[in-house]
Amino acid sequence: MMSIGIGFYLFVMEALWLATGRDTFYHQLRFWLRIFILTFAVGVASGIPMAFQFGTNWARFATSTGSFFGNILGLETTVAFTLEASFLGILIFGWRRVSRGVHLLATGLVVFGASLSAFWIISANSWMQIPHGVHFDEAGRVIVDDYAAAIFNPDTGITYAHVLVSAIEATLFLIAGISAWAILHHRTEQRTKAFFLQSLKYVVAMAVVVTNLQFALGDLSGQVVAKHQPEKLAVMELHWDTNTEGTGVPLFLAAWPSFTEPRNIFEFGIPNLGSLIATHERHGKVPGLTSFPEHERPTTPETALAFVAFRVMAILAVVMFFQMVAGCYYWARGRLTPERIAAYPRFLKVWVWTIPIGFIAAEGGWIVREVGRQPWVVYRVMRTADAVSPNLNATVVALILLAVVVLYAALFWVFVHFVRRTISEGPSFALPHATQAETVPS
Amino acid sequence: MIDDSALPVIWFFIITGELALYALLDGANLGIGLLSMLPQPEDRRELMLHTLGPIWNANETWLLVAAGSLFGAFPPVYSIMLNALYVPGMAIVIGLILRAVSFEFYDYGQGKRLWGDAFGAGSLLTVLGQGALFGGLLSGIRVEDRQFAGGPFDWITPVTLLVMVGVFFSYVIVGYANLLRKTGYEIAGETFSRILGAGVIAALALAGASFLLPREDYTFLVRWTTPPTSTILQVTVVFIVAAFALLIWAVATRRHVGRIYPLCLAIFGMAFLSVLVGVYPLMIPPSLSLFDAASPSNTLRFMLYGIGPLLPIVLTYNWYLAHVFRAESKVDARMRARGY
Repeated sequence: MMSIGIGFYLFVMEALWLATGRDTFYHQLRFWLRIFILTFAVGVASGIPMAFQFGTNWARFATSTGSFFGNILGLETTVAFTLEASFLGILIFGWRRVSRGVHLLATGLVVFGASLSAFWIISANSWMQIPHGVHFDEAGRVIVDDYAAAIFNPDTGITYAHVLVSAIEATLFLIAGISAWAILHHRTEQRTKAFFLQSLKYVVAMAVVVTNLQFALGDLSGQVVAKHQPEKLAVMELHWDTNTEGTGVPLFLAAWPSFTEPRNIFEFGIPNLGSLIATHERHGKVPGLTSFPEHERPTTPETALAFVAFRVMAILAVVMFFQMVAGCYYWARGRLTPERIAAYPRFLKVWVWTIPIGFIAAEGGWIVREVGRQPWVVYRVMRTADAVSPNLNATVVALILLAVVVLYAALFWVFVHFVRRTISEGPSFALPHATQAETVPS
Repeated sequence: MIDDSALPVIWFFIITGELALYALLDGANLGIGLLSMLPQPEDRRELMLHTLGPIWNANETWLLVAAGSLFGAFPPVYSIMLNALYVPGMAIVIGLILRAVSFEFYDYGQGKRLWGDAFGAGSLLTVLGQGALFGGLLSGIRVEDRQFAGGPFDWITPVTLLVMVGVFFSYVIVGYANLLRKTGYEIAGETFSRILGAGVIAALALAGASFLLPREDYTFLVRWTTPPTSTILQVTVVFIVAAFALLIWAVATRRHVGRIYPLCLAIFGMAFLSVLVGVYPLMIPPSLSLFDAASPSNTLRFMLYGIGPLLPIVLTYNWYLAHVFRAESKVDARMRARGY
């Protein structure tokens, strides 16, 4: 996810550098590339288990849906992942070996490969949400009747856009947060401060488009859920009973379900807003949870989790919007200069504290998507309980899972450590081709 | 138009080709990873790791491409294999993660020793996992109703252990061969005797595994004793023995050192071929054949027309990358300057 976001930033910087010839873009490019290499190392590491996990842990799901799901993931690795991994070599090490134009092309191909990769993964996941274009034969195998309908099901396009923009948004806030931290850290070096202020401004400029776009995409995504997975919508809203004619569904700002009866023990919301968002009508009818059989919708704890996750996502999206507004305000008032910024440490600290929120919001959205679909792994076709591998030894699985979690925690810690050190060192202001030494590991 | 019945066979060979390509491209890197664990000064290990070059990540993607193709074309094989061989499979996953990350972090200065060790450990885990996966698959997997029906440690058999030993020492030889080829790297008097030792152990272990297998599984016995497969197998054995003798001769006399690496690849290719001849068309011995396991024809056709034309393109840009980075790097120059 981060490699799409930072890759996007790098590509913009490199294109601007080639178009204008200004060194400042080149410095941006080289510094953030160092961060990108770190994220890519960790990103690949988290991608590898994906290629195996469906077989190790979800064998029955894999056997039955492989003829579509596996097919799509096969396309992903062959078409997209190879592109990304291959041209990464040129992006990182190819500075002296290819022309600038070819290098820009390589950067573009890395971003394109990563985005394409995301497309196929989202397409496969969207098919689990809305399994169009297939039927199951008597052996329980998926037979694809219509590839176009299955790949471009009603969920694919909008979710892809939503996820892609969320990746860019989260990474922009990461870049801004790192920059704010660096400005606080390098108090005395004017040139370094100017460099990171530049990054911060680019981010704020891009965020104007991205945060607003994301609200629109989120709304469209909600429409798809309302139409194709009504129980998920009810889950997101902790909405138990279908509203009667002439009344609207409120939007709960906070609520908590009873774990014994189908109702909320506490709720607080804005009247009619729920109907308005879901149906774009004040009294629009929204089916409640009780209108679905209990064994065909998420359990109450799952519902509570998805409800909270959805609110976390929405609230953080609003926080990011206001931060963008604050950034524009400070910029317009001329406060984002190396001389004046020192007077506003609190402004910078807010950016530092909000580094993870884009990622937390994305995780929240993904929880809504996956938990809200329970008890199905493929919506209304295959239950999660029927998808797991047979004959797995729980102890073995738990031990290996523990090892993987420990490994990831350690990797994340190291990642943060290296990022901090890279920032402390600050950018290098050497000009193009004077920096040959760092292209070859020494 | 390609006939429906040919599609599974085509995909079988595409996937085995992808796997062979992976082993070819990544084998030397894995071998060097194993060698990096030998006690030695840090700067020497650094030179070793730098022979891996900037595009080794791209090589590794072929394993993921093969896994992805297998998932799409033969879903039951993919899921039964990874289900039954859960422990080796996860060992490979953890090993690959450790390897990829520590290699990137190795160049970030501080803690070189730690990252070097992590890289070695990752390589070791990957190699042992691959040996166990391969050996476990050959030993046979119990399948009922297209699902795995055994226990999590069924793969531990004498054959698997022998294959693990054989695979481990084969990678060691390939690693040495690649170092010799790329750097002329040689620790006086040590390297060649180690290659010899590793070669003998690998040969004995793999020969032992091939000897035990037919007794455990009837299919192998039939293949080894009835023509035409027995003839092909005997011919490959003769070639392997001949290539191995040449290898030993090159090592022992230290002449034509440059030929060691291609000889290793030739032996590897031949051994791979003989395994294919021994099991075809079984994908999961002893019961699941590629025809039972194949996805519906329209899936295979879609994959073939969707992925097929792209494979040459992928190969072309992989070649282009190798070409870009072919010129002598500073590392090579530095190594020469230091007299390695």
